[in-house]
Amino acid sequence: MSHGPGDNQQKLITMWSPIQQTPTCVVILFSIHFVLKAEKFLKRNGISHDVIPVPREISSDCGMAVEFSCLEKERVLELLASADLRIAGLYRRDGKNSFKPISAEQITANVVN
Amino acid sequence: MSAKPAPIYADNAATSFPKPREVIDTVSSVLGSMSLSPGRSAHQYSLECSRLIFDTREALADFFNCPDSSRIAFTCNVTEALNVGIFGLLGRVLHPGDHVITTALEHNSVMRPLRYLEKTSGISISILPVSGDGEVMVSELPRLMRDNTRLIVANHVSNVTGAVADIEAIGRNKGNAVFMVDAAQSAGVFPIDVVSMNIDMLAFTGHKSLLGPTGSGGFYLRQGLSLRPLKMGGTGSNSETEIQPDFMPDCHEAGTPNTLGIAGLGAGVGFVNRTGLAAIREHEQRLCRLFLESVGQIKEILVFGPAADRERAAVISLRVKGKSESEVAQSLDRDFHIMVRAGLHCAPGAHRTMGTFADGTVRFSFGFFNTEADVTACLTALEIISKN
Repeated sequence: MSHGPGDNQQKLITMWSPIQQTPTCVVILFSIHFVLKAEKFLKRNGISHDVIPVPREISSDCGMAVEFSCLEKERVLELLASADLRIAGLYRRDGKNSFKPISAEQITANVVN
Repeated sequence: MSAKPAPIYADNAATSFPKPREVIDTVSSVLGSMSLSPGRSAHQYSLECSRLIFDTREALADFFNCPDSSRIAFTCNVTEALNVGIFGLLGRVLHPGDHVITTALEHNSVMRPLRYLEKTSGISISILPVSGDGEVMVSELPRLMRDNTRLIVANHVSNVTGAVADIEAIGRNKGNAVFMVDAAQSAGVFPIDVVSMNIDMLAFTGHKSLLGPTGSGGFYLRQGLSLRPLKMGGTGSNSETEIQPDFMPDCHEAGTPNTLGIAGLGAGVGFVNRTGLAAIREHEQRLCRLFLESVGQIKEILVFGPAADRERAAVISLRVKGKSESEVAQSLDRDFHIMVRAGLHCAPGAHRTMGTFADGTVRFSFGFFNTEADVTACLTALEIISKN
């Protein structure tokens, strides 16, 4: 199976997702199963997101993470909680390779509110 | 010269054949389109593989009414699943001196691990007996229960006689024991609901009535119950630590899985869902009744197991007077192109209860793709063999 240059061009355009235009959050889950479970719930609720490799700056784990617009943070956390998905970590992307952790208190406060 | 007749496959209790078209197509297209290594790397092939496995896991969770799909782990067959279950409880739920109850119809994949624990770990075993009509006497369960009964293991459908155990009744009367069900022969034919049946661990295989490829299977484990993993290694998660993860499903899925088999199993479950469990069961039971009613007319043949009017699976054990089991099976295969299985079917206990140990029986097992014409051909062949 081979991809022509046109295909690659198309992929680059598709991967340049609009959610990267606004500040994004990255949620870390316990394994790929939970990442895909999260993806299923986000898709079902029409929330734009990317499944990305866990950024090296966050963890040396070789797994995947979910990135979404910070504008959707509350909804995402609510959805994950409703699906009983435990969060291993939540970060705000400050720059291309810079991430700031969002504390557990803030996560809980967001879900409760 | 007449053409060789089409072969008839009546060994579905070993492995179902043929597989639905979509299972073959899925396996073929997956093998040709991606790397088959899920959850390890972050590239698109790896992610696609992870999705295939996730989809099968979710489909199985729905199928068995498991509340949380992360409680399903894949193994390469039901034997591995039962071994993880039985040995994994040792030191957690099962301790030296504890008591286990099982049934007289168990397969060696249950009896060998249990006998090993009996010998090496001081576990005692009680066996639920079988009634005259070949069914497990669940009514005996309360009499066998002890204060230290930690585990009950029950075969749902016998791979020797097709007898169906009343799993619901066992689940109702399990007390504080862990209830483990061997669904090797039942999954894909009989309804299984882990919640309403009070099942703590359900072991299943992909290559029988779930219509998937060999090398696929797994188990459901109730929330709150943990098993010592049988194998440890790479899971693609928590890679920074040298300690095996303790969460499902990763803790029981070390090593690159059988992505191909799991994808095919997903397609098999899809086929079963679309066809409907009731329609599958009805078809197999019609074939079973047709076979049992006619085979009963051949006076040289002795049939074992529940009668035609009982709820039973299309797994039939019989003997032909004056002929050995291997002789009958060989003649069926060579002279009539009918494939069956002869012997003890890895369940010596079942044969002891029927009085057919150590010769065993000839076993016919019909599947969803068998036809009434197949059954008629089997009956004709048996009639000829028994008269010669």
